[in-house]
Amino acid sequence: MGSIHPISSLIREANQIFLQMGFTFVSGPLLESEHYNFDVLNVPKDHPARDMQDTFYIKDTPEYVLRTHTSPVQVRYMEKQIKKGVQPPYRVIVPGKAFRNEATDMTHEVEFTQIEGLVVGEDISLANLKGTLEIFFRSLFKGAQVEIRFRPSFFPFVEPGVEVDMRLVGDGVPEKLKDKWMEMMGAGMVHPSVLKNAGVDPKKYQGFAFGMGLDRLAMLKWGIDDVRYMHSADLRFINQF
Amino acid sequence: MADALTFHAFEIDGVEKVGNDDVLDVKVTPNRGHDALSHRGIAKELSAILKLPLANDPFAVRPLLAPVTTDVSVELSSKLCKRYIAGYIKGVKVGPSPEWLKTRLEAVGQRSINNVVDATNFVMFNIGQPLHAFDAGKLGSLKIGVRAAKDGEVMVALDKKSYTLNGSMLVITAADAPVGIAGVKGGMPAAINETTKDIVIESANFNGVSVRKTAQALKLRTDASTRFEQVLSPEVAAHGMQAVAALIVELAGGELAGFVDVYPELQKPMFANVTVEKINTVLGTALTGADIADTFARLGFAYKEEVGVFEVQAPFERLDISIPEDLIEEVARITGYDKIPSTPLDEARGKPPVNPNFYAAEKAREELVAKGYSEVYTSVFADKGERMVLNKVDSVRPYLRDSLLPGLADALAKNKVNKDLLGLKEVKLFEVGTVWKGGKELVTLGMIGEKEAAKEIPLKPVVADKYEALPLSTATRFEPFSKYPYIVRDIAMWVPSTTNEQQVQQTIKEGAGELAHKVMLFDRFEKAGKTSLAYRIIFQSFDRTLTEGEVNQSMANLSAILVDKGFEIR
Repeated sequence: MGSIHPISSLIREANQIFLQMGFTFVSGPLLESEHYNFDVLNVPKDHPARDMQDTFYIKDTPEYVLRTHTSPVQVRYMEKQIKKGVQPPYRVIVPGKAFRNEATDMTHEVEFTQIEGLVVGEDISLANLKGTLEIFFRSLFKGAQVEIRFRPSFFPFVEPGVEVDMRLVGDGVPEKLKDKWMEMMGAGMVHPSVLKNAGVDPKKYQGFAFGMGLDRLAMLKWGIDDVRYMHSADLRFINQF
Repeated sequence: MADALTFHAFEIDGVEKVGNDDVLDVKVTPNRGHDALSHRGIAKELSAILKLPLANDPFAVRPLLAPVTTDVSVELSSKLCKRYIAGYIKGVKVGPSPEWLKTRLEAVGQRSINNVVDATNFVMFNIGQPLHAFDAGKLGSLKIGVRAAKDGEVMVALDKKSYTLNGSMLVITAADAPVGIAGVKGGMPAAINETTKDIVIESANFNGVSVRKTAQALKLRTDASTRFEQVLSPEVAAHGMQAVAALIVELAGGELAGFVDVYPELQKPMFANVTVEKINTVLGTALTGADIADTFARLGFAYKEEVGVFEVQAPFERLDISIPEDLIEEVARITGYDKIPSTPLDEARGKPPVNPNFYAAEKAREELVAKGYSEVYTSVFADKGERMVLNKVDSVRPYLRDSLLPGLADALAKNKVNKDLLGLKEVKLFEVGTVWKGGKELVTLGMIGEKEAAKEIPLKPVVADKYEALPLSTATRFEPFSKYPYIVRDIAMWVPSTTNEQQVQQTIKEGAGELAHKVMLFDRFEKAGKTSLAYRIIFQSFDRTLTEGEVNQSMANLSAILVDKGFEIR
């Protein structure tokens, strides 16, 4: 027997958990237009995030980038639904690769895997985000007691925007993780401009979105000390999973 | 204080002890660069969070820029400057700053220069308005202007470096000669020193994008440019001028001749409306009108409440407040995110459809894993391909791959040498990955093995009505492995049939010494009441490359131990 990649196992598990909560698995292109990667997500034209040093641009393909996050799929999905005449509620997860043009080290890679979550409806709240993430982490960490906390943060495509910390408490939690607050992801309530850009009426609908790094989650779950193993294609690493 | 800020406003990058004081390093989020890149801004936050009124708010009283002087004139020739206030002080005595000022500046990592320059820096850190003082005598003229630089125009800045400017940059001029790069740095010729007598102080408002691009192009990021980049309210300029003029007169004496204020278009008041109901449906809370009113009062937001609708006017410096959601965020963070309950989603309506691409990938994974293939992720960056990345940091592998096979071939070569260590007879790999080929982005499945030709096929979607319950990794903890090469030795022996073979393996593991990383039984047969056992031992160290000599020594020790037990080495 061979092994699947630990990130593939994590995506498989995330899909199983989110499926129970009614989430649809969707994906989108890695080579993405600036329109979807930035414009529709409320990132201004002259925002520093668009600078050459953070984003990979493609030769002879102006206005295309290697997507810097999985968030463009939020708008792609909603647009498609609206075109089909399907109004919210929506519940989707988007696992996939994203890219940042930066130096690599033990915790940074230019290629990484994220999972995006999006829930839109008439009365979806920040409290629902807390509830959903609690269920996800509790399932992922096999019944451990999970505490979630929010800290204020800023991302142009959500308002309010939060940073999500998670803590595992109680018995059966690996000693290294026990009782420690860990920064897990950025999240928030979908910015009304993003809904509007996707053709969803922000006066009628609201929702939450989150974007979590799966490499980091895998590192925490299995005690992996270097993110560069993920793309090492080294079976000394992969065959342990 | 750090906790109050962390859970209600900003992340804290660190708390550092400086002298008898603590310095908080606050990571102000980009939406709050307008108002919070200053001590006043942070104090205001703490005041709202901790419900402690500010003892002295520099923004509480509208500044009076009086008297007006006609000695200095200001002309704006660019819309990128929204306001320019010049202050003219005559007869200052430039000298060292008092101790209290030096200590405070040094605490935030600034070097004390002289009382006038230090005063401008102090006020900037205090209320967030960048300021600059020119030596009026050296300006050559008191006709101040703000205009686009000319292409190729050169200016020597205070850092004594000469900068070549272009038409997208903004300069401050005296009689049309550049004396400062707007919002970035002042010019060397009009620098303040001990001989300075009269000064012109600048408190202005420059366009954030323009300042950012200029600073970036000149590779000259300053405390002033980082603040202007965030976009400041032109109202703050007046507070900055009033505060710095008073401080300079206090520290360096002189006589305030007066101010010139050019402010063509006043900042418009910022209103936003939100209902109690909207706040509660977005946050999932049950806050009352009184809770919400309390938040706005603590933040110093003017508000009117009528039948559950709040009409709010944000203070001039809070340029981030414009839509109801901005107000909701203020309520959430000031009340505290810990007050937000945890509410699971309602039962989902209907069954989510199966993603045919993911289903196909999962099916391929299961089939291949069963056949002994392991899944790798290799880089999308390659030596060749149809599309080239414009700005790859290291310029290594600048293309987007058009096939998975070269990456898989590299991975195969890399893993082959570890076959014994991995306990594999043959290395077999696969990848489900994205390639860019024929002008399209597509997902393919690539396979490679030592004894087979590499193969790559497009991953065809598979329609299904439900996902199969596929197995998950059962690993609990990752075991670090040595990055040093290993050495393999085999040993075979005859043992009596009655021998406990597990014990033998244990004896070998111990007998081979601490360099023996792994012991595997790879052959076993029985003959005439005896059993032949053949073991493969992998020697490897976590901290060095082993030598043949030391491994031979370990093997010799092991043989002796086994012979001692009465086993017959073959």
